Amino acid sequence: MSYVIALAGNPNCGKTTLFNELTGSRQRVGNWPGVTVDKKEGTYKKNKEILIMDLPGTYSLSPYSAEEVIARDYIVMEKPDAVIDIVDATSIERNLYLTLQILETGIPTVIALNMMDEVEARGDKINAEKLSEILGVPVVPVTARKGKGVPELMAEAVETAKAKKAPKKLPIFDEKLDAAAAKIKEALDAAGEADSGWKAIKLLENDEKVAERVSAELKSQAERIVADSYGAGADLEAVIADQRYQYISRVVKDTVKKGRTGHVETRSDKADKILTNRILALPIFAVIMYLLFACTNSENFLFLGINSPGIWLAGVVETAWGWVTGLVEGLVGNASPWVYSLVIDGIMEGIGAVLGFLPLILVLYVLVSFLEDCGYMARVAFVLDRIFRRFGLSGRAFIPLLQGFGCSVPAVMATRTMESEKDRKITTILCGFMPCGAKLPIFALIVSTLFADSNQTAVTYSLYIFSIVVAIIVSLLLNKFVYKDETSNFIMELPQYRIPTVKTIAMHGWEKVKAYAQKAGTVIFVSTILIWFLSNFNIDSFNGNNAAANEDGSIMCEMDDSFMAGLGNVLAPIFKPQGFGEWRPAAAIVTGWIAKENVVVTFAQLYDEDVSPEYLEGYFSQYSPEELEELGFEGGTYDPEAAPDIYSESILFEGGDENALPTLHEDIPTKSAAYAYMVFNLLCMPCFAAVGAMKRELKTWKELGKAVGVQMLTAYVVSLLVNVIGGLFMN
Amino acid sequence: MERLMALAMMEIGETRTIQEFHGKEEVKRHLQDLGFVKGEKVQVVGENPSGMILLVKGVRIALNRGLASQIMVA
Ligand SMILES: Nc1nc2c(ncn2[C@@H]2O[C@H](COP(=O)(O)OP(=O)(O)OP(=O)(O)O)[C@@H](O)[C@H]2O)c(=O)[nH]1
Ligand SMILES: [Mg+2]
Repeated sequence: MSYVIALAGNPNCGKTTLFNELTGSRQRVGNWPGVTVDKKEGTYKKNKEILIMDLPGTYSLSPYSAEEVIARDYIVMEKPDAVIDIVDATSIERNLYLTLQILETGIPTVIALNMMDEVEARGDKINAEKLSEILGVPVVPVTARKGKGVPELMAEAVETAKAKKAPKKLPIFDEKLDAAAAKIKEALDAAGEADSGWKAIKLLENDEKVAERVSAELKSQAERIVADSYGAGADLEAVIADQRYQYISRVVKDTVKKGRTGHVETRSDKADKILTNRILALPIFAVIMYLLFACTNSENFLFLGINSPGIWLAGVVETAWGWVTGLVEGLVGNASPWVYSLVIDGIMEGIGAVLGFLPLILVLYVLVSFLEDCGYMARVAFVLDRIFRRFGLSGRAFIPLLQGFGCSVPAVMATRTMESEKDRKITTILCGFMPCGAKLPIFALIVSTLFADSNQTAVTYSLYIFSIVVAIIVSLLLNKFVYKDETSNFIMELPQYRIPTVKTIAMHGWEKVKAYAQKAGTVIFVSTILIWFLSNFNIDSFNGNNAAANEDGSIMCEMDDSFMAGLGNVLAPIFKPQGFGEWRPAAAIVTGWIAKENVVVTFAQLYDEDVSPEYLEGYFSQYSPEELEELGFEGGTYDPEAAPDIYSESILFEGGDENALPTLHEDIPTKSAAYAYMVFNLLCMPCFAAVGAMKRELKTWKELGKAVGVQMLTAYVVSLLVNVIGGLFMN
Repeated sequence: MERLMALAMMEIGETRTIQEFHGKEEVKRHLQDLGFVKGEKVQVVGENPSGMILLVKGVRIALNRGLASQIMVA
């Protein structure tokens, strides 16, 4: 017999921490309310028969935002065998408000008093036995973060699930309210409605979702019952909330002994005095963001003249990959030309172009997860609220947008926590503008090749700023012309600051590496082969024409005649005004919709061929014999055999590095066009995975079409402006 | 009884009791779920251009200024 046990509780009370502890999984934990936005199933490590369900946090069973609806619907409609109601014991009064509502549903419940370490540190005492006696369900003190009390909790939960015992009814409401509830319950029972007791209370509370689900007849009956005892149109919601809180006050008085009375200024209060200070808050935020990017992506780290940790690690990975490629080259050296081409020019070249960026993304991610775990995120969202509000968004939008710097998929999902539909729709669109980890390689490649003589770090930074400026302008325009509803209010609980554990941060980092490796091994690997195929074959490959024409009988074709060229040539004219209207850049944009990394994969494959013997000869002819000798040609005479090695090892051209594609400037001839190309890739439709996430949040195809349309239009117009205006002074 | 005033007018460190809310029904419900019920004590622990940080039932909650001016305290 298997049991389903759901984890429910207020946002940020430690549900996912407990879930990870119970199931051994590595779901995302973070110190702000609203980290988990979807339900997630796992099996209990110590008993595979027991399914554990992690839920988004909710403050009540009458939900306010979309992720709260998921939690409520699961508890009420799917009926787990038991609920573990996790209570953040440091704010027990507020947390018990949800507890009372869960008990009302009649689902067997166990209460976990979490964060007991912090309670003890404060010197407070909670009498769990007494609390259990009063509420009529087991109460187990735990410290989820350290796994303390968790086995005991699970033993109770399994017992409770097996016993199927509904919690007893508590004397929460006064007689008048109880009487009204009883009458509605009777009516519901007569109509054969399930969960009549719970629905009766919800109808009294004016819960729209429940009211929608019962018949109109029952609804008006309930209204009559309310009118009879309270007068027509009485608002019982406030009365019910009040009586619940009063009941809780009595319970807390009997069970909790405060170490200190009154509010004592905590460390969190002190930190908030600085971090949310009316003058200092924004400068501090700016410095933190700068440090974040400096650690990730700077060749002059903090002006010390050294590489940032991210760049340094990237160098290590690149060297390692070069070594692996060498090995593989030895293996396939004697294979047929097309196998060699597929393995070396296709797979190794393509994957290598992407893998080098893993360290940058890893460093960024570890730093962001530090910020997320310490409790700063909620503060930043609050501090930025005023600025965001000017652009027609709530400060909440900051959290999805920052996540967009990592990956658009979780970013788009995080928009759920915003209660206004308008905010959600706009933020979903803006998430696509963020420079996600997969777009980083595009910038790096273009910058190192076409901005070789500029301040490369500055060019890369400017793209980040660019994405933010565009997001602001688009948000303003959308607010003005497309979505005209009101901006949501900012209401957010500010959690205690907590020192992140090494475990959580290492876990986040590891998850990221794993996900990236998986992506490289699946989507990108397959795309690489597909791109290689499309770029080296055409119709004539399969009707014998190529085989007849090629001296060596190969069925491959010139890239300029390939399928990829066919596709690129159709699109190229569209991008003429942007300055990159050639088939190769145009085709790369399309492959980027499968995964943005594909843009560099495509470039690596398409331009590699250009470095032909003829090209090399032409390239080295600019040097005098002395210079040739210096570069490594023996006796100062040009040697076609040695040329490729010397070419790739020497500095290719002023400032370019080994990733650079020397012939790229033939297709993207000016700096303004190069910048426009990066901007187009930055702003256009995100990858299909992100579009899928957008569809889930926006629900309808029409809304999705509108959102992607806005992204495409923005990308097209802005890149055009960049090329035209930039052309005036950049080139 | 003291005259009603908007929560947004309170100063740092001040404690008052919540009386009324003039705003949308669903926002009112959400605030209730967070502990903003009539008669409840609310203390201002922080303030900045975005809004205020309040202490309600031992929990810190941040509200934007517009919302804080819809909540009446005494
Ligand atoms: N001190 C302490 N901190 C804890 C404990 N359990 C969880 N935390 C911290 O509380 C924060 C929230 O934990 P999560 O597990 O993400 O909370 P959640 O309930 O899943 O949050 P949402 O998904 O946002 O609803 C994290 O910073 C945890 O490290 C505990 O027992 N003691
Ligand atoms: Mg969670």
